[in-house]
Amino acid sequence: MSLRTQGRASGRRVTARALMLGGVVAALALIAAGCGGDDSSSEAAGTTTSGSSSGKPCDASIGVLTVLTGAAGPQGREMLHWAQLAVDQFNEENGTDIKVVEGDDQLDPAQAATVAQEWASNPKIVAVVGPESDGTVDSAGPILGKAGLAMVSSTATSVRLTDGKYPTFYRVIPPDSLQGSQDAEYMIDTLKVKKVFVIDDQSAYSKGIADVVVPKLKDADVDVSTDSVSQNNTDYSALVSKIADDTDVVFLPWMLAANAQLFGDQMAEQGKKAAIFGSDGVFSPQDFHVDGSYLSTFSPDIQSDSKYDDLVKEFEDRYGQFGAFGLTTYPATQVVLEAVKKACDEGSSTPDVDAVAENVKNTNIEESVLGQPIEFESNGEMKDAKFYVYTIKDGKYEIAPS
Amino acid sequence: MDFFVQQLVNGLTLGSLYALLALGYSIVYGVLGLLNFAQGEVYMVGAFIGFGVLSGLGGPTALVMPVPFALLLMFTAAALGSGVLSVTIERVAFKPLRDSSRIAPLITALGVSVFLQNAVLLLLGPDIRNYDASSFIPFTSGIHAGPLNVSLIRIIVIVTTVAVMIALTLWVGRSKLGRSMRAVSYDREAAQMIGVDVDRTIMIAFFVGGVLAGIAGVMAGLVFSRVFQLMGFVAGLKAFTGAVIGGIGSIPGAMLGGMLVGLAESFTAAYISSTFQNVIVFAVLVVMMVVRPTGLLGRPAVSKV
Repeated sequence: MSLRTQGRASGRRVTARALMLGGVVAALALIAAGCGGDDSSSEAAGTTTSGSSSGKPCDASIGVLTVLTGAAGPQGREMLHWAQLAVDQFNEENGTDIKVVEGDDQLDPAQAATVAQEWASNPKIVAVVGPESDGTVDSAGPILGKAGLAMVSSTATSVRLTDGKYPTFYRVIPPDSLQGSQDAEYMIDTLKVKKVFVIDDQSAYSKGIADVVVPKLKDADVDVSTDSVSQNNTDYSALVSKIADDTDVVFLPWMLAANAQLFGDQMAEQGKKAAIFGSDGVFSPQDFHVDGSYLSTFSPDIQSDSKYDDLVKEFEDRYGQFGAFGLTTYPATQVVLEAVKKACDEGSSTPDVDAVAENVKNTNIEESVLGQPIEFESNGEMKDAKFYVYTIKDGKYEIAPS
Repeated sequence: MDFFVQQLVNGLTLGSLYALLALGYSIVYGVLGLLNFAQGEVYMVGAFIGFGVLSGLGGPTALVMPVPFALLLMFTAAALGSGVLSVTIERVAFKPLRDSSRIAPLITALGVSVFLQNAVLLLLGPDIRNYDASSFIPFTSGIHAGPLNVSLIRIIVIVTTVAVMIALTLWVGRSKLGRSMRAVSYDREAAQMIGVDVDRTIMIAFFVGGVLAGIAGVMAGLVFSRVFQLMGFVAGLKAFTGAVIGGIGSIPGAMLGGMLVGLAESFTAAYISSTFQNVIVFAVLVVMMVVRPTGLLGRPAVSKV
């Protein structure tokens, strides 16, 4: 067995080859592991937020499961900040002592499952805000669902998430089918496109939207070509070269805004004139600012509505400037908080997971930053949820003309 | 035809980065028989050093000195910083294991790689840094002939890479240090017996590997703008693939292999679909391991008696 017992010369040959094969195996294993590399797993302790101690005690924690590190980290941390703000305001108003537990899934389904396992066996955690993406709902959903934990997502948009597989899944935003069809309609009716290049990013989210958009465009006699590209790529120049000069729109239903920015830069480099149309994943004023682009999002523009000045100011004082990806986490967290408090009011100071889930189901919030009441359909979809199309002018996001 | 040339340029740019990184793998492997998987992270650190210098000089939109000098400073600082980092890694993580089993340093290398990723994550945060190179080297500069667009940034990258390769080849072939490196690579013990300072030679191999990675890091920042703590991982793997395809331990092999990987990625995206980019690159690696384990230009390891 031992290579050492062999002759020196042949031993070297064998070990060199074995080593190289070992290297290749290790390399491929690492790719399989999702190119995550780092592994900062969640802490059950998390960030503690405390409020005044008056009112009926309510001693519970809610998990916020999202991506906190990696390329999409900025968006995920913005979500976390909105959740923290909602919790702090709620505690102060109601004298509760509800805590936030952070869970970093690195946008990686495997990592999300690990965090979900941890939370499913943690009796302190009574409900979850998140998960943030379709892929992570698919992996964490069954685990959290089995533990009876309600999940209220503010960003996962796949149609299939509400087909009954995850009975405790709710979301405060519309599904991709709506986004895909609204985007396609906008391109056809308002932009009057003739030729569109659709490039998905190989994620479940991205393919879901592309699958809705492509047939709709084709039905309207638009010349559609498609391709897909890995999120780990750092170079899109080969793909950019493929964009035909008479292309009107390059549709990028991507998860990472920074990648779309690189794509836009490389288009500029090669003198391509087509407009980029991005989905909500690309909607991020910090990371994506290609002039003339269009973006769809489920997040209303609260910064230009004076009604929300106080809220905007409070957020900015604490965390600085924000994009639009995190905002919906604020109402999602409110849904969970109301449900937890109701369970506390009706039962013990340590609420029961099932009671919280039942309360989430019966949510009835009259006013929200979404500009509409929050109530859920029986499958977990929010009633009358909407999408908005934005455009970028001189680096600024504004509502696009319809 | 224009499309082909455009894709050729795209592939050569990407290939340049891989080739420089692959050289680092190959030089270290040649001298020590060790796969330094931390090479990709040294490249990442190099890219961050370049970004630091760029910010220190006023940032992409307000450089306090002419662009060529700024570039020179960025490249120099990143090259030296990465070189020193690489030597430090050798001292701390590999030297103590030099006489242990060959799998131990391989595992340490992976450990160092994870350590560096997380160190940068903790020190600098997970935000993506942007070189925004088009602000100081506009896209309009360079060659623009009809549908063919080669920005000055890409020309700089490709020309610098070729220059570095020529310099390296001359240095390894003609200088005294180059000779001792080849001697150590051929037979470490015999080289020691005839008076080559093996420790120093190994250190220099790591330094050169780091310098190349640092240069590649700044190039990546210039071409692809985005710099973040996980950027070295995939690039490192692709470069490793290039080094193995070219024949690990062989310097011209690493250059060739790195370029081939870049071109393969580019042409796969151009003529098949970018869906298959990674599949094809790594499939080529697997086929190469089976058909010709020594790589295109590698020599079989049996010559040592």
